[in-house]
Amino acid sequence: MRGQMTHLDSSVLAEFRAGLITGRRGARITAHLAGCDRCRALDDQLAGVSALLASVPAPAMPDSVAQRLDTVLAAEVAARAEAAGRDDPERAGSDRSRARKAHGHRAAHRGFRPLALRVLAPVAVVVLAAGGYGLSRLASPGGQMTASSAGSAAALGRPSSTAAGVSRAASRAEAPVASAVPSPLKGADGLPRYTASNFPFVASGTNFSSNQAVRKQQVENDLNVRPTSRPSQAPSPTSAVRECVLNLAGGHPVLLVESAFFEGRPATLIVVQTGQGETAWIAGPGCSATNRDVLATTSV
Amino acid sequence: MRGGDADGPSDQELLRRHVAGDTEAFGELFRRHRDRLWAVALRTVCDPEEAADALQDAMVSAFRRAGDFRGESAVTTWLHRIVVNASLDRLRRRAARPALSTGDEQAFEALAAQDGDPARSSDTRLDVDAALRILPEQQRAALVVVDMLGFSVADAAAILGTSPGTVKSRCARARARLLPYVSHLQGNRSASESVSPAQGADT
Repeated sequence: MRGQMTHLDSSVLAEFRAGLITGRRGARITAHLAGCDRCRALDDQLAGVSALLASVPAPAMPDSVAQRLDTVLAAEVAARAEAAGRDDPERAGSDRSRARKAHGHRAAHRGFRPLALRVLAPVAVVVLAAGGYGLSRLASPGGQMTASSAGSAAALGRPSSTAAGVSRAASRAEAPVASAVPSPLKGADGLPRYTASNFPFVASGTNFSSNQAVRKQQVENDLNVRPTSRPSQAPSPTSAVRECVLNLAGGHPVLLVESAFFEGRPATLIVVQTGQGETAWIAGPGCSATNRDVLATTSV
Repeated sequence: MRGGDADGPSDQELLRRHVAGDTEAFGELFRRHRDRLWAVALRTVCDPEEAADALQDAMVSAFRRAGDFRGESAVTTWLHRIVVNASLDRLRRRAARPALSTGDEQAFEALAAQDGDPARSSDTRLDVDAALRILPEQQRAALVVVDMLGFSVADAAAILGTSPGTVKSRCARARARLLPYVSHLQGNRSASESVSPAQGADT
């Protein structure tokens, strides 16, 4: 062992290995390593960190996440098609026509939209069901798509390939629904799951607490009130509430949307089913498509 | 199903078609890369729920802002950059929401419980995932992109929005910091012997 310098520590060695130490100082480290077993062993261990990290297999995306992303993507595609049709019908029409031609379909004609709407509307419900929740649940009134969202799904333009994509998603959804997905917390009592674009809206009047434990209990209480015995059904959510639910829930199934209070101020409770449990958001009046305005969050 | 056909359209072509109004090109592009994008999100935020949210944010952002892609980097680099940014955004939001934070203390406790107990080193992936949590987020993101996903330092710099020197420095500090927590996974053997999962199954 040459005693020309003290032993190297791991951070210096890591910088040296990354090429950050060069010149005279780098040469001294090289010389020291050549004569020092102890520092060479440390250097080997550092090399082993990178090698170890490289050897860990990448986790595959869980099916539930893949299905959720498919659902969100389908909504994005539909929204874009709708926006394009609204901004510039001629251009959107020619885009659709080109896309169909590329896939061997006949060119668009005026009668296409209503026909596609009839063909696609039931299929589009399956897209939303592919989030990992039984189709039967979504066949309930709350699960039906609104006419406008079905219409935008029709604007996708390519019925056959869209239907093929949907059936792939649906067949992937079957396995987890049948076995792997744990039954939802309150699934046994038949509490339905809704979509972020269509959900029942209730006025609970619950005044949620800023205390996490109290709030959690309040949310659980409200979840356990069966929809039929709720005090009052609000006529319909405002468009801000609808946008807020879409923004917060994304592709997650919606369990409950309530007009309520937080610390005495008006707020909206949104409970969605996430991977391992349920997440409750309490959103303020400012919640919209672009602003979340979340006052409190609770895992149930 | 996963990845594109060898003779399928290039990533850049799919992105161009998407910008031109094709309704399926983006889905094809995203599915092609989604496992790697999932891996980077999961390992950056260290939580499957947050990772799913981050990836969803990133996907929507890429879908809407595809027109901004100028072709200065590969499409995969651009996609990874959006995912890393969305993941770091999530972490910042989580930090501002202490009730939901998973806390580094928990990670440290989990790691401390493993010290001196080599029998628990059998599940390398879990141990590495736990060890990654102790890193500051910027160092972790750099290490994930370079050491785990195998991007070059130059590509990693583009993904992380910083300079190659900073990437090198973050990676070096992260490796040194990680060393005490993962050295038990390497045993006392030399690095080249210890990294193969097949050879590592010595329990």
